[in-house]
Amino acid sequence: MPPSGLELVYLENRDRLVRFLRARGAGDAAEDLVHDLWVTISTRSDGPIANPVAYLHRAADRLMIDRYRSLSQAEKREQAWEADRHDENVVMPTPEREVGARQEAERVVAALDALGERKAGVFRRVRIDGVEQRAVAVEFGVSLSTVEADLREAARALTTLKDAIR
Amino acid sequence: MSASGGNGAHEPIDAEALDWALRMAEPTADWDEFLAWLEADPRRSTRYDHAVCSLEAATELVRRQAPPPATAYETSSSRPARRHWIGGAMAAALIGVIGLGVWQERDRSYMVATTAGEQRVIRLADGSNIVMAGGSRVQLDPAHPRSATVLAGQALFRVRHDAADPFRVRAGDLDLTDLGTVFDVRLLGDQTHVVVAEGAVLVDPQGARLRLEPGQSVTEVDGQLRRGRQDATEVGAWREGHLAYDDAALRDVAADLSRQLGLRITTTPAVAARTFNGTLEMRGLRDDPVALGVLLGVEVRRKGDDWILDERR
Repeated sequence: MPPSGLELVYLENRDRLVRFLRARGAGDAAEDLVHDLWVTISTRSDGPIANPVAYLHRAADRLMIDRYRSLSQAEKREQAWEADRHDENVVMPTPEREVGARQEAERVVAALDALGERKAGVFRRVRIDGVEQRAVAVEFGVSLSTVEADLREAARALTTLKDAIR
Repeated sequence: MSASGGNGAHEPIDAEALDWALRMAEPTADWDEFLAWLEADPRRSTRYDHAVCSLEAATELVRRQAPPPATAYETSSSRPARRHWIGGAMAAALIGVIGLGVWQERDRSYMVATTAGEQRVIRLADGSNIVMAGGSRVQLDPAHPRSATVLAGQALFRVRHDAADPFRVRAGDLDLTDLGTVFDVRLLGDQTHVVVAEGAVLVDPQGARLRLEPGQSVTEVDGQLRRGRQDATEVGAWREGHLAYDDAALRDVAADLSRQLGLRITTTPAVAARTFNGTLEMRGLRDDPVALGVLLGVEVRRKGDDWILDERR
């Protein structure tokens, strides 16, 4: 079977993707990861892909983000387990933890809304509805740079709060 | 070796990495620039990972607290124009498909809406553009840039032709595939009207495969296709204020005029089903809606901000 359109793009950009994975902290594993990445992508059917080069980069980027997340979660569990051995009260009982999560969400939303209607609206449209920043600018009747500034402000406020709660 | 390296979860978020996290989430993200930034300092990758995870965790909390949309988005064949949209131009949030796969792109489709009386040009990345009439809604999806859905109103498509990747338009119950360049789509009442100015369009590529050449049109009502003719040079003339109707019910003409003029024009049941053939000039009508009386053979009454078309006494 001749290579598909996406496969050709992959083969043409393979070295580039290895370099990208290295820059994203894959180190010596970059060669193996790029292979795994292609195996996963080629068995998926996402329908027509608008920009295959960007698509492959995004897939590689996502791969590294997920690796980071699972590693840091494993680390957190380990720390909790270590702490647990010394202090039995460290891990909260489940209902309390749930209340904690709900309060956390309420605080984050309150912080977002406190920024004002437009900034909160811009953040929701871009980050939750997944609308492109340029389209959001048109919707709100503001410039793209205003949308970028709004997003930046909202993202800083929320992540600072989120990291502080944790 | 720890996953978070020297930049653990307890360090403050750094603004630079957060900017990249926001930037790279865009479909138009510049991966070359990103690579250059990463390679300039090997610690940046972990800072970026941390920023992305914090941002996504915070976004997830907001998402869970968000009120559900009035109507969930569906891809069934029911008419999108009849759906309820939150706050008009603020499209109902599309429920994403996150979690189906680690690399599944988010659903980024979005809607562009014009207010009554407004015209707007949407420029697409491939050089194609869509001119939207007033009171119209068009749905676009950056994941499928060679496609668009007309949800309401009227739009003139000027499409860059690519035989390998034809531009597809969904309008009402009709699927259209562009074989050429310029065509107009109008949803009017329960009719979907398509007319070609340049090139060709394939209507219902999965079924009827009706080919429209310049000056040819098709009107779809209740699944029935009716062919028609129209002067090709007149296609899209609504942009200059010439509104052409072909056997259109007055209730639909009134709705169309409301959209194009930015006025509220309605019909009484006595005249709603009457049909009209011909062209109306927007320019004069905006200032003097009473002139519609002579043109449409009705009486025009004003009630507050509403203009009502009624039977002549």
